[in-house]
Amino acid sequence: MNKCTDSNIQEMLPDLLHRTLADDARRRVEAHVATCESCQEDLDVLRMVKSAAVFAPSIDVDRVVRQLPPYQTIIPAIERPASTRVVSWLVAASLALVVLGGGSVLMIQSKDSRSSNSAGSNQLPNTIATRPEATKQSPAESGVVPKAVVQSIAAPRPHALALAADVDGLSDGNLMQLMNDMDGFDALPASEPEPVISVDSGDSL
Amino acid sequence: MISSPEGRPEETDLELINRWKAGDSRAATRLVGRHSQALARFAASAGEREGIEELVQDTFVRAFASLDSFRGESTLRTWLFTIERRLMLDRRRSERRSRETVPVEESDHVSEYGALDGLIAEEAQGRVRKSLDALSPTQREVFTLRVQQGLSYKEIAEVLGSTEGAARVHYHNAIKTVKEFLKDE
Repeated sequence: MNKCTDSNIQEMLPDLLHRTLADDARRRVEAHVATCESCQEDLDVLRMVKSAAVFAPSIDVDRVVRQLPPYQTIIPAIERPASTRVVSWLVAASLALVVLGGGSVLMIQSKDSRSSNSAGSNQLPNTIATRPEATKQSPAESGVVPKAVVQSIAAPRPHALALAADVDGLSDGNLMQLMNDMDGFDALPASEPEPVISVDSGDSL
Repeated sequence: MISSPEGRPEETDLELINRWKAGDSRAATRLVGRHSQALARFAASAGEREGIEELVQDTFVRAFASLDSFRGESTLRTWLFTIERRLMLDRRRSERRSRETVPVEESDHVSEYGALDGLIAEEAQGRVRKSLDALSPTQREVFTLRVQQGLSYKEIAEVLGSTEGAARVHYHNAIKTVKEFLKDE
């Protein structure tokens, strides 16, 4: 018996068996099978396999149906109107701008205060000296010093240690305040450090 | 549209699904009745011996719980076979250590069609079953889905999570093995 070389026809034989071929295809396959011994043998085998149904218990349909879950529609997420979504975006953008802008201002201010602190160690006596005068008559008002300059000098309160270079220039009141500030300064260690013992020393062994 | 024996056009699976979604429980009964026996046969052909009814029931429960994900791109039966096959694989994995799946034996094979049984020679039936046992599990799945269930290669590929080409190759190897086995017997 010659082996069939038409694999397309061979693959369609189960469809012929189940009568699922379109008319044209069915006629073509039937014509081929009529002249091909190999395909006739294949078809016989397929018929035997199809008819030799394996044991399968009959299924109690009602019992299966009783176990089925009730249908639950998937509830779509509540859609908010487009206008609400636009407002939400605007609010979010505004908040982001406020946070970014505020952060930038804070950074600039902290930078300014640091630079004025370093400069303030030399200028503070003058600042302090000018303060009482400023209370009497503002230099800005008198037209001698611009108001902005006065504010930049007088506004930040320099740290006490920054005044150490020019302590001689402080008045008694300011000196007392500096002493009080130093008492409250907690950056210094509370106790003396322990003496360092060298582990390399051969005497300790 | 399929015609019922009474000549009325039978509702398609999709129409029945929509009816069930609308609250008609009779549609579920029709769907289960239409596909349950094919699922049982597929499970038996794949070597399942026990709990086939539970397997079919679990398949329907799982399918009906996720019917919204069924888009109708494949037939409902193909989709059900896919679910059932996954359940069989899960079951085999969990039982692998405690119980091996016993290959289908002659004594287990009794045709569901009692009247037809008498017409088919027992000897020939036994030979066919033995020839199926000679196939690899995948070859047997492909071959029975193709020959006994009449699925297309595309549908078989969907059920197996494989390709049409692979399904064709398995089919060719399977029929070659079965033919040789029957010749030698």
